[in-house]
Amino acid sequence: MSESLEDKFLNDFETNQNIVHKICRIYTTNSNDHNDLFQEITIQVWKNYAKFRGDAKFSTWMYRVALNTAISLYRKSTKSVKTQDISDIAFKIKSVDYDDTEEQQLKALYKAIQNLNDIDKALVFLYLEDKSYREISETLGISEVNARVKMNRAKDKLKKILNP
Amino acid sequence: MDLLDQYKKAWENQPENEQKVSKTDIYRMTKLRSSSIIKWIFLIGIMEFSLLTSSYFFMDYDYINQQYKELGLENFYILFQVAAYVVIIYFLRKFYLNYKNISVTDNTKGLMNQILKTRRTVKNYVLVNLILAAIVMIILFVKSFYTKIEELTFSKSITIIGIYIIVIIFILFLFWLVYQLLYGILLKKLNKNYRNLSDN
Repeated sequence: MSESLEDKFLNDFETNQNIVHKICRIYTTNSNDHNDLFQEITIQVWKNYAKFRGDAKFSTWMYRVALNTAISLYRKSTKSVKTQDISDIAFKIKSVDYDDTEEQQLKALYKAIQNLNDIDKALVFLYLEDKSYREISETLGISEVNARVKMNRAKDKLKKILNP
Repeated sequence: MDLLDQYKKAWENQPENEQKVSKTDIYRMTKLRSSSIIKWIFLIGIMEFSLLTSSYFFMDYDYINQQYKELGLENFYILFQVAAYVVIIYFLRKFYLNYKNISVTDNTKGLMNQILKTRRTVKNYVLVNLILAAIVMIILFVKSFYTKIEELTFSKSITIIGIYIIVIIFILFLFWLVYQLLYGILLKKLNKNYRNLSDN
């Protein structure tokens, strides 16, 4: 029984790991911390996987656990050494439609988000992932009205960084 | 098109992370130990409970009993001991229940609130202990001061009161320092995030 739970977790997590990578990328600035946070999120998702009842999509549930880990549980490891800045790592262009302008925009976007505070990062991330205000308010535990107000402020801050 | 909409398009079209983690590595990670702050809050909390409670074991009860008897405070001593036990049982239970209720699957604000609540339980325990200690010290001081008042000169009395105040301030300062360092480091980020999420 527990083996099948483990297999199911591995399948779900592997398929949705890109969500975790994106979160790690906005909450950390170097590859060591990125891997560290990725590891902590993996542990937290696994530890709580038995509680996931499947009444929501796994990815929706994972957004919450991953963001909570990044915002509330994770402390930068003191032993982490500063390595290559993530924004300098080039993206591999896999898609034909993926042109250089978008690659530059994406780099600039990540760099700008990294300058926001942890809560604004979460808001902007959920906006970029096309989540509804209802989902955002449920994930963060604030009212929808408050989520809208905070989102507008976070977007304004982001715009100012992107286009000073 | 809004400036952010253009960037959002780039976000939606971003390729998958090139460092795709294999199932084997994900499996390996699940076997590793978590380094989350919850673990530290629990360990430090237990340490505080143990440290404060263990101080009772190092007391020479016969001698203390004798001292209280001489001052005519036997009843007060029994009452104080009962209070100390009630306090520890109450706070340990509360600490454990709060800790058990910390869930990373909760919403962000709920999770933060629960972590801070757990941490506040320990803080309140220490505070109640400090208050109890202060009450005992004041009662003992006042009682012994009045018992021996005829033997003391005015300047001696002032010196004793002065020393008492300095010692109390020093102990409080030490507690404050340890708390600032310990929880300051541990909870700085969480407190800041909680404030940012709570303000309107």
